[in-house]
Amino acid sequence: MQRIFAIAWLTWKAALRFKLFLVIAVLLILAVVGLPLVIEDDGTAQGFTQIILTYTLSAITALLGLSTLWLSCGTLARDIEECQIQVVATKPIARWQIWLGKWLGIVSLNAVLLALSGGCVYGLLQWRATKLPAAEQTILRQQILVARGSARPPDNTAEIEAETDRILQGRLKQNPEMAGLTDAERKEVRKMIREGVKADSQLVPPNYQRTWQIDLGFAKNYLHGKPLQLRVKFNSAQKNAAGTFVALWEIGDPNSPDARRLAPMSLAPDTFHEFEIPPDLFDANGLLTITFVNPNDTALLFPLDDGMEVLYPEGGFALNFARGLAIIFCWMALLAALGLAAASLLSFPVAAFFALAMMLVVFSSGTLAESVDSGTVAGGNAETGVAGHSMADVVLIPAFKGVLAVVSLAKNFSPIDALSSGRSIPWSELGLAFTQIVLLLGGFFAAAGIIFFSRRELATAQGTQ
Amino acid sequence: MSAAQTSNGEVVVSVRGLTKVFKDFWNRPKARAVDGVDFEVRKGEVFGLLGPNGSGKSTTVKLLLGLLNPTKGHIEVFGHSPRHVQTKSRIGYLPEESYLYRYLNSRETLDFFGNLFHLNKADRDNRAEQLLEMVGLGKTQTRAVGEFSKGMQRRIGLAQALINDPDLVILDEPTAGLDPIGCREVKDLIIALARRGKTVILSSHLLSDVEDVCDRVVIYYGGRIQAAGTLKDLLATPDTLRITTPVLPRETLERVLEIIRKDVLTGEVRVDNPTQNLESYFLDVVNKARAANETSGAQSGARVAEYLRGGVEARPAADKVLEKLSLPQAAPPAVETKPVAQTSTPKVDAKKLEVLTQASPPTPQPAKQSPAPETRPVDLSKADEKLSSLLGGKK
Repeated sequence: MQRIFAIAWLTWKAALRFKLFLVIAVLLILAVVGLPLVIEDDGTAQGFTQIILTYTLSAITALLGLSTLWLSCGTLARDIEECQIQVVATKPIARWQIWLGKWLGIVSLNAVLLALSGGCVYGLLQWRATKLPAAEQTILRQQILVARGSARPPDNTAEIEAETDRILQGRLKQNPEMAGLTDAERKEVRKMIREGVKADSQLVPPNYQRTWQIDLGFAKNYLHGKPLQLRVKFNSAQKNAAGTFVALWEIGDPNSPDARRLAPMSLAPDTFHEFEIPPDLFDANGLLTITFVNPNDTALLFPLDDGMEVLYPEGGFALNFARGLAIIFCWMALLAALGLAAASLLSFPVAAFFALAMMLVVFSSGTLAESVDSGTVAGGNAETGVAGHSMADVVLIPAFKGVLAVVSLAKNFSPIDALSSGRSIPWSELGLAFTQIVLLLGGFFAAAGIIFFSRRELATAQGTQ
Repeated sequence: MSAAQTSNGEVVVSVRGLTKVFKDFWNRPKARAVDGVDFEVRKGEVFGLLGPNGSGKSTTVKLLLGLLNPTKGHIEVFGHSPRHVQTKSRIGYLPEESYLYRYLNSRETLDFFGNLFHLNKADRDNRAEQLLEMVGLGKTQTRAVGEFSKGMQRRIGLAQALINDPDLVILDEPTAGLDPIGCREVKDLIIALARRGKTVILSSHLLSDVEDVCDRVVIYYGGRIQAAGTLKDLLATPDTLRITTPVLPRETLERVLEIIRKDVLTGEVRVDNPTQNLESYFLDVVNKARAANETSGAQSGARVAEYLRGGVEARPAADKVLEKLSLPQAAPPAVETKPVAQTSTPKVDAKKLEVLTQASPPTPQPAKQSPAPETRPVDLSKADEKLSSLLGGKK
């Protein structure tokens, strides 16, 4: 370990002597302190959180991410280009130890910078919160500066798929002429049927009601006597003049005398709403029944993924905040491994370009997902609504699926969103993030980087210093 | 050392059929830097890789260190592959440029490399102290290496190469960028290391470096070894003889020449004043000046680091780094064979020489009265003049 620590120490020395540490630290603190000064919040708890927590943490992640990529590409590639590595590699230190030492140096540097900037955010959050109006402070303390567990309706994807297949088979029987469909056409028909089934499962037509049953799981044991929050979002088929729709809610088993009707609400579509629901309305199994009545003259649609969520108190904000930072730290560790892996094989500018290109792929994963969903990279026919298909799809769509599967291992965690909405980041999620981001993805890049670096001839470069 | 002692010693480095071809991006051969090289280096040898720029010396060194992979051939260092990590703990390497971290100061540099050798803190501190004193950087420990002159960078580079008290020291152009004092110190250090049984591989295109310290050399050209052997074998000219004496009286010299001319043609005999070489003269001047002046740059090395001297140099008199004065006596065969080492004129008893001349074939007493010189007075005056000038103006 002495050798690995010596290399890590060297990375620290470089960051300090070249004033990189100082510059990044100042930039981070400017982002944390300066951003809320430049962008004024609207005085509400949500607006305040958006500025102090969401923007600053996003800025910290972006700044640290870029500097990590830059530093990790530079620290190894420059050592090779400026030939210092020739002296180091002739000492009794294995190449993997040099690589790991560099990674450890960058990661520890990130840990300190993240702790520093995170501490500033936390302090600023607590201090600025005292300046909000009392009512907003209450909302802030109850909804955001907490760690709330989350429960959602069960995933009904399997049911949707089964229903889609059932309908498709039925239609094929009813229309024998459809037997001659090509595979692409058949896929297109199935996709359209599936969209219909999925919409049905989200839809609440006018003057209809919809019931969700949400399992609170183990949390039922400690939620007695505690109020819960309902977080909902819906879309409307049509707009109305008021811009809001009436919502009638009944919480608890409708057959039970304990079920409670909430006062009618006027809610805007396409945005999240949070409101408190009385305690102890779930049954002995922890099932909470929520019924929504749509008295409006237009259909409302509750998205499957985030249309309905129950939030309940789970822990304190400070520890939750620390866990959120820890997930961001996992991302930095991955970026450090990515940069070092690129620098193990490529020169500094090429490595930096490659690493940034990889980041671009991650950021464009939404576009990739759309292509995968539509089954083609070609645009659809605007008149017929039928997507075109090309030979490129045969290669690109599976490739995109693979990329998305890999990217999702790191991207499926959203600590900033969770912190901004006061949702708990459980230890299990942090453990999963560490396993997927650091061990699995980081390990892959580390293995690739160490193999490249070990096989590389280190004395082909002429000194450039 | 030396060549004589090491002829049957342990093989430290073995190179067989070594070839290195650099290729371009498309894997097409670009340059054949080393081509079918074979040699062995034995324990305690000072082995020289000599050749002009671009002849393949540095490439060979980098292949020996595992920094390049051979295209063909086989290398063993201490019986292992050059990439074997533990073997590297026995090697010290000074590259052709001082590829050190510019942001570290000299103390931190040695501490860092000491850590890579798994030395504990006390050892690191102790060795760093001694090495910095040895290379004359004891007073500039806190200056960043990037601020150093090239010569000072070479010195700290040399110090890092010795931090582990290596058994094999590989020095690539070790005197490049050094002033004459530094050059002399490095050469003397190499000899001191060899005396302790260390093996030194020296790559250089400076002939004097190699000639002063190496036991055996290979001469590269175009990636191939063009000549190999001990310096004694390569440089000896057995058909000539050189006698060096203090200035002799004219009559004595004439008698000596007369005797010699009986066996050798006049044109093959040379009489001149031996000159001190510039390096020795320069060092004398600087040594005198040093007593009175100080410099802000590198100091002349004080003494070989104690841990590098081991038990060999227990005498306080030998503490002085490079043991300039004791060196010729202490390094027997190698130095004896080196003409350059004869920078001072050994004392020869003039009387003995005179006796010797008299003891040679019967003195041609009548010849003194021979009329021959009288018949050619012009020739004699010219000879007088020439002798006078050769003898420094003495008549």
